[in-house]
Amino acid sequence: MTKVLKMKFPKECNGCELCVMEVQRQMGKGGLDGSLIRVLRDEKGLSIDLDPRVNDLEIEKVIKICPKAGFVIEEKEYEGELLS
Amino acid sequence: MNFLARKVLLINLSDSTSDVKSFTDLNEYLGGFALGLKLYEMYQDKDPVILSVGPLSGLFPFVSKTSIVMENNGAIEDIYLGGSFSSRLASSGVDSIILLGRSKSPTLLEIFNDKTSFLTENIYETNSLGLPGKRSVLSVINRLDLLDNYFVTKDNLLGKKLASKNVTGIVLTGSLAFDIPDLEGYSALYAEVLKRAGELEVTMGSSPSCSGCPLGCGSSKVGEMGGNILAHCLVSCEYAKKIYSDVNIVFSCLNVLGYDYKHEDLEKVPGLVDTLLNNI
Repeated sequence: MTKVLKMKFPKECNGCELCVMEVQRQMGKGGLDGSLIRVLRDEKGLSIDLDPRVNDLEIEKVIKICPKAGFVIEEKEYEGELLS
Repeated sequence: MNFLARKVLLINLSDSTSDVKSFTDLNEYLGGFALGLKLYEMYQDKDPVILSVGPLSGLFPFVSKTSIVMENNGAIEDIYLGGSFSSRLASSGVDSIILLGRSKSPTLLEIFNDKTSFLTENIYETNSLGLPGKRSVLSVINRLDLLDNYFVTKDNLLGKKLASKNVTGIVLTGSLAFDIPDLEGYSALYAEVLKRAGELEVTMGSSPSCSGCPLGCGSSKVGEMGGNILAHCLVSCEYAKKIYSDVNIVFSCLNVLGYDYKHEDLEKVPGLVDTLLNNI
């Protein structure tokens, strides 16, 4: 089983980007370059884009820092795991 | 003090040119309001609009505003705008953007880190500009400013000013990253400051948040004017002034990022601001 970060309640997102900064800190940097979480803004509102590589980080900390409790961790079985 | 120069993006609207200048002698102004005021003094003959961040912008909780210094009806205004603009400006590697003069025709500015494009067609079409997730869109329509489709300045002062300069909007992308010299110390201090959310003068709401603030308070929709000088030089939220007017915590935040400010440097900033205000 592989733990995967999901944004379960995107409509709850307030755009604070604490998740973006949490991920950047875990990657040892500040700023926005190479961020594995992006908060996208358009006329329809906010949406969250998650790079699958975020799952290699401490995603529990991302869940904890979101003030709106928007993220969850799902467990998934991948084909490789089923075969092994 | 020993650190890098302040980097300023000068945008000359009159001839659609831009230039980047590094000032090694402006570090004592810290950032935000004081830096903007000093730059205003230097360029005041060209009716500057100066948008600035501070050394903690984009890196610490509640340091979420953009400082704007400009003339309005003969007076100098300091305005603080919420939203995502400050984190993008911080991530662009530029401390201040200065808009000088007036465009000959309506112009949409696309700024990518320290590069500026002057767009005179499709001047309200911002969707295709900038990098998603790293951009901030400030629109000016009918003299009204609107950032991130939500945040505005008090009395739309910025919108009126930009409209008078024939600017229809700014799409700013900040796409850089920065090494943190003391990552462990920084992470610990970040968590410590974030835990102090209860000391803010606002409470959790369901409105859009400024970047770097979890509260979504509703009060930040309309930008602030005036207030605590140190907090506004860092360009923190005015509602977080209990945290960011504390020289000790500010010193710790700067120190963990590698800045070599001393307590005395921070304590003299209000005096520098007073001097500038008297000079202008």
